[in-house]
Amino acid sequence: MADLYFAGVDVGSLSTDVSIIDHSGKLLSETVIPTGVNGSEAAEVAFDSAIKLADLSREVITAITATGYGRASVAFATGKTTEISCHGVGAHQLFPKTGTVIDIGGQDSKVIQIDSHGRMLDFTMNDKCAAGTGRFLEVMANRLELDLDELSSPLNIEGESAPISSTCTVFAESEVISLLAKHTPREHIVHGLQRSIVNRIWSMVASIGIEGEVTLTGGVAHNRGLVVLLEEKLGLTLNIPENPQTVGALGGAHIARRAYQSSLELGPN
Amino acid sequence: MMIPNRKEYLKALANSGQKIMGVLPALYPRELLWAFDIHAAEIWDPPGEILHANAHLQTTICPIVKRSLEFILKEPDIINAGYLFPHTCDSLQNLGTQVKDLIGVSLPVYTFYNPKGSFNNTTTRYYRDILQNFQLSMEAVYGPLAPDKFLAACVLSHKIDSHLMAIQQARMTDHLSLNNAEYFKLMRAQEYLLPTDYLSLLEQVDILDQPGESPRARMMVSGILPPTPEILEFLDELGVSIVADDLLAGSRRIPKFPMDAPVSPLDYLTDRFFILPPCSTRGGDLDERLHHLSKHMNASQAQGILFDIVKFCEPELFDHRLLVKTLRGKNYPVLTLETELENHISGQDKTRIEAFTELLFEMVSP
Repeated sequence: MADLYFAGVDVGSLSTDVSIIDHSGKLLSETVIPTGVNGSEAAEVAFDSAIKLADLSREVITAITATGYGRASVAFATGKTTEISCHGVGAHQLFPKTGTVIDIGGQDSKVIQIDSHGRMLDFTMNDKCAAGTGRFLEVMANRLELDLDELSSPLNIEGESAPISSTCTVFAESEVISLLAKHTPREHIVHGLQRSIVNRIWSMVASIGIEGEVTLTGGVAHNRGLVVLLEEKLGLTLNIPENPQTVGALGGAHIARRAYQSSLELGPN
Repeated sequence: MMIPNRKEYLKALANSGQKIMGVLPALYPRELLWAFDIHAAEIWDPPGEILHANAHLQTTICPIVKRSLEFILKEPDIINAGYLFPHTCDSLQNLGTQVKDLIGVSLPVYTFYNPKGSFNNTTTRYYRDILQNFQLSMEAVYGPLAPDKFLAACVLSHKIDSHLMAIQQARMTDHLSLNNAEYFKLMRAQEYLLPTDYLSLLEQVDILDQPGESPRARMMVSGILPPTPEILEFLDELGVSIVADDLLAGSRRIPKFPMDAPVSPLDYLTDRFFILPPCSTRGGDLDERLHHLSKHMNASQAQGILFDIVKFCEPELFDHRLLVKTLRGKNYPVLTLETELENHISGQDKTRIEAFTELLFEMVSP
């Protein structure tokens, strides 16, 4: 299996991520770019960039798994798998004792249970609302005139955080407007927003249960304030990958590698 | 196998002078209507925008009720003998009252209050009573019931049931060369075809001598209506076959086991009602329903179960949580989708379905 390379291309609603690994599973390169309006174009750009970073050429990539909501638009992929399976496999590669994955992505959040090989056992996904997702934070950051980093700080506020709906982004935004009108301190609102997402995620976790170590993936894992509150709510320490956004792409690359290995085991038709 | 288009078929029937009653879901004595030469056109999920119905109903009413009312308010020219509202749930029962007393449609409105609960002396006596009362209300409009026609209608119903049971069994064991979309189109044709036409259609169904090719994964589906055609086609694309169902518009209307040919119509209809599979809309024991689901999962070798829940459907939601918990406890993979009977699949639902099938594929892979 020398000189064989595998890629995962995760076309998400906010970012497109690519991971490239070699035959042994070693990570060679990763890229993250904004998806924009054209998922297939973003996939091409991110893929080329990852290839360049790994000092490879397109031709040497043996198999490519497309994942994410735009997985169908990746014309150059050799297979496609949902981001749910990919996050399970990716989290397992990074933290082999993972039994539960919480993925908070741009427009979806998911809780995934996996077995000791990273295979999905069960999952749950948020309903038809952006509450509890990265998009929720973006909308609120906009409304509060903060950037996402400012919305990410762990906060030690005095007194209660501002109460904010955890079921609807539109209602939550109206609540934020009302709180601003009442001159509620911004850090109380930010704390309330972080708590709102945590409550939403917690209800999903409660519906499926926790097994083994818990790994948090997706861009929202960069939000330190939210991580602190989520750990507090779950009563455990979360595994946080160095690049939580690319876990789906990494899982995709490993799925491509496994599929290739299986095809060798099965032999030619 | 050509299945006529619902709207065109019913229009042609109405134009030919056929009496047609609009029947709301789900269980009603269709044989009695047939005996009066009245065709039952069932109203489950008429397509189109919900506009006028919203003025009469709360937002938390299920889309089946809303779509039905929208259809009724348009006073479609295919319904000419009235509307029948079985007591399937409180929303449908109340809709019957609302349509009759408050909205004032021009056609007669009938109700049929199914008993809630399992087979016992009280429920059977009650069921016979409401059958007889319904017969009397029909006789008041259409004249005395001809006993031979009533028996003939029951014989026809018995034949249809026998075919459906055989088809259902063939589906479970891969002896049917119909994909998901074709299978449920066939099942749902009984909602609007004349019983004789439906029987002819069932007689044309080819049951294979040997099992056909096995699907990549096997799934059971539970709920009120089958998944939308878009979802069924998507499952077909993925190589997943729905090999068994627990649907109110499907197998919950087919007796659990074969019945003797009818001799006395009232006895036959009463017996038939109580040997239908357990159903959330008829109350009854949840353990019985769990047992029924497990039995069909095993018989069809389904690897997972999809609950396709109509939004705000109280009877289904009442049972759903415990069913899911128990089935998960038995290591059956379970997926729940919520539908408002839209005619498209959202990206999220596509991902849910695809991820669920990946889980099922992992189970069957070596």
